[in-house]
Amino acid sequence: MSTTTSASPQTAQEVLVGTDWVASHQNDSNIRVVEVDVDTKAYNEGHVPNAVGWAWDTQLCDTVRRDIVPKGAFERLMGESGITPNTTVILYGDNNNWFAAWAFWQLKVYGHKDVRLMNGGRKKWIAEGRELSTQPVKPQATTYQAKDADTSLRAFLPEVMKAAAERSQQMVDVRSPQEFSGELLAPPGLPETCQRGGHIPSAKNIPWAKACNEDGTFKSPADLKTLYGAAGITGEKPIIAYCRIGERSSHTWFVLKYLLGYKNVKNYDGSWTEYGNLVGVSVEKP
Amino acid sequence: MPKPEDYSERKADIAGWPVTIVSYRLDGVYRTTIDNTDPGAWVVKAEGPSKAESEAKATQEATALLEKVKRSKPPTGCTSVPGF
Repeated sequence: MSTTTSASPQTAQEVLVGTDWVASHQNDSNIRVVEVDVDTKAYNEGHVPNAVGWAWDTQLCDTVRRDIVPKGAFERLMGESGITPNTTVILYGDNNNWFAAWAFWQLKVYGHKDVRLMNGGRKKWIAEGRELSTQPVKPQATTYQAKDADTSLRAFLPEVMKAAAERSQQMVDVRSPQEFSGELLAPPGLPETCQRGGHIPSAKNIPWAKACNEDGTFKSPADLKTLYGAAGITGEKPIIAYCRIGERSSHTWFVLKYLLGYKNVKNYDGSWTEYGNLVGVSVEKP
Repeated sequence: MPKPEDYSERKADIAGWPVTIVSYRLDGVYRTTIDNTDPGAWVVKAEGPSKAESEAKATQEATALLEKVKRSKPPTGCTSVPGF
């Protein structure tokens, strides 16, 4: 299957805002700034004034079975955050927007129209010496109705198995080279692991952080196109991005789909902690 | 509303791992975060009355944690099933 490719700067303008823009719009009535961090305590230590905080490990997932946040819980979270379907949601967080991108992906899965990332995330906001608030934010609640989950943005295991077997889709493994090679089962300091190291057959290793500049902002569309193009990822074929639990691959999914404009890109949130624990599947080690 | 001051960021090596050490002062307290540069996961955080104390505390904790990380033997060959 072939997909249309484009790398329109207009696309980036619709999904990225700068720290200056956030500083001057953070109190607008139609704007809701939301912080989502790897370190769920970071928000309470100081956040963008008037931003609400979401915890990825309790509010952006199903806490019983392994899954994204259920639709009903998503609607409650959005409502409690004062968000309506017409609200522009600005997401930011630590680690160059790792989990902010995870939240972005889920908002798109549930059909929220206007979602953007604050380019550079929490790191850039702090590095620039901007105001940090420790005051809890209690927006006026709304009743939010989400759309049914858009599964065209999400890859499940059967599709991944088929894609790997038939080489029908391009697999992008965004983990570190040590995880890709099997030297590491999980990054230092992180608990989720797997029984086997390595990667899904045919996957290309393009670590997520290569898409970022030193200050945490995204590289230019031209540089990104060169980066992924060098590995043969051009958008001509459907793409599946994966990592360990799906958050780093959300970051790359965002880059490929919105900054490069590749139409058919899915995030495989089961990622290596699903695939690397399966019995009897093929694993590739370089 | 307070603003972070005296922000610094530098690369370092702890227990054989490349890390980034970020420190800043907020409300008179220095805060340090050490994360492993690649893949970039948060590792440890610490606070102190001075940058030196905050960074020393964080470095000590990061060292203890990173020394425990296991590396597998270098991979050899491809284990894929033919025809997969």
